Amino acid sequence: MNSYLELQSVRKRFGNAAVLNGVHLDVAEGELVTLLGPSGCGKSTLLRCIAGLAVLDGGRIVLQGRDLGGLAPRERQVGMVFQSFALFPNLTAGENVEYGLRMRGESKRGRRRRAEELLALVDLEDKRDVYPHHLSGGQQQRIALARSLAVQPKLLLLDEPLSALDAQIRKNLRSEIRSIQQRLNMTTLFVTHDQEEALTMSDRVCIMNKGVIVQEGTPEQIYMTPRTEFAARFMGSYNVMTRPEALRLFGSLEGSSDSYALRPESVKLIGMEEDPSGHAGRGKRIVDGTVDSVSVLGTIVRYSIEAAGVKLTIDALNDGRLIGIGERRNVRLALDCSQLLQLEKEGA
Amino acid sequence: MTERNQAGWGHRTLQSLLLLYLLLPLAATAVYAFAGDWQDTVLPKQWTLEWFESLFQDTRFLEALWNSLYLCSISVALSLAVMIPAVFVLTVYAPRLESLMKGIVVLPYAVPGVVAAVGLIRTYSGGPIDIAGTAYLLVGAYFVAILPYMYQGIRNSLLTVSAPELMQAAGLLGAGPVRAFLTVVLPNIVPGILVSTLLSFSVLFGEFVLTNMLVGAHLQTVQVYLSRRMGESGHLASAIAISYFAFILILSMVLMKLGQTKGRRVRG
Amino acid sequence: MISKKKRYRLRGRLWVLGLVPFAVMVLAFQLAPVWSMLSGSFRSDADSRWTWHNYYTALNSPFYLKAIENSLLISAYSSLIGIVVGLVCAYSVTRFAPTVRDRILMLSNMTSNFAGVPLAFAYIILLGSNGVFTLLFREWGWNVFDGFDLYSWTGLTLVYVYFQVPLSLLLLYPSFYGIREQWKEAASMLGASSWQFWRSIGVPILAPAIFGTLGILFANAMGAYATAYALVGGNYNLLAIRIGSIVSGDVTNQPNLGSALAVLLACTTLLAVSLNAWMTKRSARYLTGAAKAPPRKGFVRQRGTGVALAEAKEGTG
Repeated sequence: MNSYLELQSVRKRFGNAAVLNGVHLDVAEGELVTLLGPSGCGKSTLLRCIAGLAVLDGGRIVLQGRDLGGLAPRERQVGMVFQSFALFPNLTAGENVEYGLRMRGESKRGRRRRAEELLALVDLEDKRDVYPHHLSGGQQQRIALARSLAVQPKLLLLDEPLSALDAQIRKNLRSEIRSIQQRLNMTTLFVTHDQEEALTMSDRVCIMNKGVIVQEGTPEQIYMTPRTEFAARFMGSYNVMTRPEALRLFGSLEGSSDSYALRPESVKLIGMEEDPSGHAGRGKRIVDGTVDSVSVLGTIVRYSIEAAGVKLTIDALNDGRLIGIGERRNVRLALDCSQLLQLEKEGA
Repeated sequence: MTERNQAGWGHRTLQSLLLLYLLLPLAATAVYAFAGDWQDTVLPKQWTLEWFESLFQDTRFLEALWNSLYLCSISVALSLAVMIPAVFVLTVYAPRLESLMKGIVVLPYAVPGVVAAVGLIRTYSGGPIDIAGTAYLLVGAYFVAILPYMYQGIRNSLLTVSAPELMQAAGLLGAGPVRAFLTVVLPNIVPGILVSTLLSFSVLFGEFVLTNMLVGAHLQTVQVYLSRRMGESGHLASAIAISYFAFILILSMVLMKLGQTKGRRVRG
Repeated sequence: MISKKKRYRLRGRLWVLGLVPFAVMVLAFQLAPVWSMLSGSFRSDADSRWTWHNYYTALNSPFYLKAIENSLLISAYSSLIGIVVGLVCAYSVTRFAPTVRDRILMLSNMTSNFAGVPLAFAYIILLGSNGVFTLLFREWGWNVFDGFDLYSWTGLTLVYVYFQVPLSLLLLYPSFYGIREQWKEAASMLGASSWQFWRSIGVPILAPAIFGTLGILFANAMGAYATAYALVGGNYNLLAIRIGSIVSGDVTNQPNLGSALAVLLACTTLLAVSLNAWMTKRSARYLTGAAKAPPRKGFVRQRGTGVALAEAKEGTG
């Protein structure tokens, strides 16, 4: 496959600290790839290197067969949306959208028409003559999106575009960005530290840590089979155990890993009064445990349970059935050995 | 994550030139104040402390210094005594009147000293209250001159300690308003007010127009004295200017230290 | 019962007492003088009757007209030069690391205490007829400054510029922080060159701050008295100097004419300062968007501006 965007061992340091340690990535045309990682993992720096706002110390960035090295940001045909919106405060929403076309010297009429199209695309036609400070955060970010799309970039970079917004707006804008991206078949790199955002929006997710991509795959692959302890912890409430802990819980183990992970919803809870035999079988195991605490998170109920000296987080569907299990109660856990994941060593 | 801005050569040269430009007059005055014989050469032929010695033996200068100190102190003290209750009352009981107060208080920014002096002289020479040329008139004028700084300082400190809430809390605990003010609010705003007090003091210490026009014929402050001596002995005048500047410098250093500790307190 | 209720209400209003001393002082030393000056400016110096004559004299006598013109010109020149130099220096100072920046600002703040009488004196030492530079240039045979005279208008403008520059720098530099790095980045990604960015985004955003500062500088120069007075006594034909000598009776005793001139002077400075207030409101509009990320050194900057304004009265003149 000839990839649309190619990153080849991209390196970047700030002073003595290496921020990007040789990043490789191939992105296909029309694909939305998410760079997911904690703050300081280098994901934003990578984006800025692609945009040309930071200078590479090593490696190559190739977009549609053209090496971007040495090109100024304005020559790269790359669009970018910032976390802080970065709308020009002295221009109206419409003028902001037109800005890139104005810099290209396009005619006033052409600019106007294109701006209207894009305002319609982000559903803000009526805000053309409004100044940014009169728009809500979500509206500002949609204008910023329209502004970067107006010049028809070859690649769209989104740098945590939703982080400065309220939870509800964030969710709406999430699906809106995704649908616009798909409609325009816009190749997009999306940076976030929010795993839910990454899982719901992307074609492919790359988990970054300490300046390298530690794992990449579809959202399902990433969620179901984290490869390292870092990925498992970062992807959510995975229970990460040492080998001895996993041994105590499961009796016997496959493989020779030092650490194992267990998805919180893969464990079934059984009340003491129920008959556990229905859960027995090959590769299954029943263990006794004590409930430390219970919290209801809407559609799921999260239990904190201690079993065989291991603290576990277990999620169950909130079907009203298990609510009766209070704190410090004894329960039985039905474990499925096939759900236990072996984790690779960090940095392997 | 942005790369640190390392200022380039151009910027460094520019700032050096700026500082040179700004410091040059100061340096020249300092050199002159310590120069023994400086007639037709670029730098003095010898150095001396004689100008400072004669300065501090000059009774007229000491008198002017004393005048400056006591006039400034009295004015600032009066301003504190009048402004703290007024701003407090307004902030806590009548926030609606604040914009009126702001309007009154900002006026001295916009009205030049000469203009203020014209009005004051007209009002107080002859007529029922004849205090022209006296310290009373000057203290009144000084009071108005420092209104903006005092108001700003007191108001900011009151808001920083959220005085209205403090008063309510004290009231709920059974303290009367006067007692609550004296025991709860006042001690908490002292650090903030100290800054504007010193600032006002240094502004008044350097005041010339009002002083010269209102009382210049009868009372001399350091600034007025300096302007009178300039023509007579350049060396002596330099010594005065440098002493004055040193004093103001120390005052603003203290001010800045206070500002920093206050900033830290507020942020921390 | 009623009296108790009344007493309670009275106690509730006792806070008014706290305002009394303030009201008395302001009335006596601010409002009464303003009123006296205003009403006086409409009275004849000869027979105390109501008249427009003082304003007529002020605006028709070539002598006073010249004074007004001189004041306006020197204020305009010195503020414009101050703005240009201040703007360049303010931009440059924001390119330094905060510690270096604060040191530079502290120094320029410090020198702005050096104004009025001591400043005039320092310039005499530097550029007077026997000044260091005058001698130096004579020795080196430079004749660039041959025609220069400190006691001329050029000389006075030079001294005015000296106290305008630090003020302008201190008032302007915070607004450069209002121009966020991400705007530059966004513009460059949309194809704008650095020049295009400043023309279309940077300068329009700075404009209110520039005009506002210009207002302050202008008012500052219009009201300046000490510097000119100390340089050559009452000999300059400047509005402030004229007012001073009329009122203190050096020349003629025409207090009402003085009042009229003072009112005219106050009008220009009030106008200039209200330009500043209006512009500050405008620039706040641009900065609300940016306010989400509060400046880290907010306190220092706020204090810097306060101190700068403290020196707005011709430094300490």
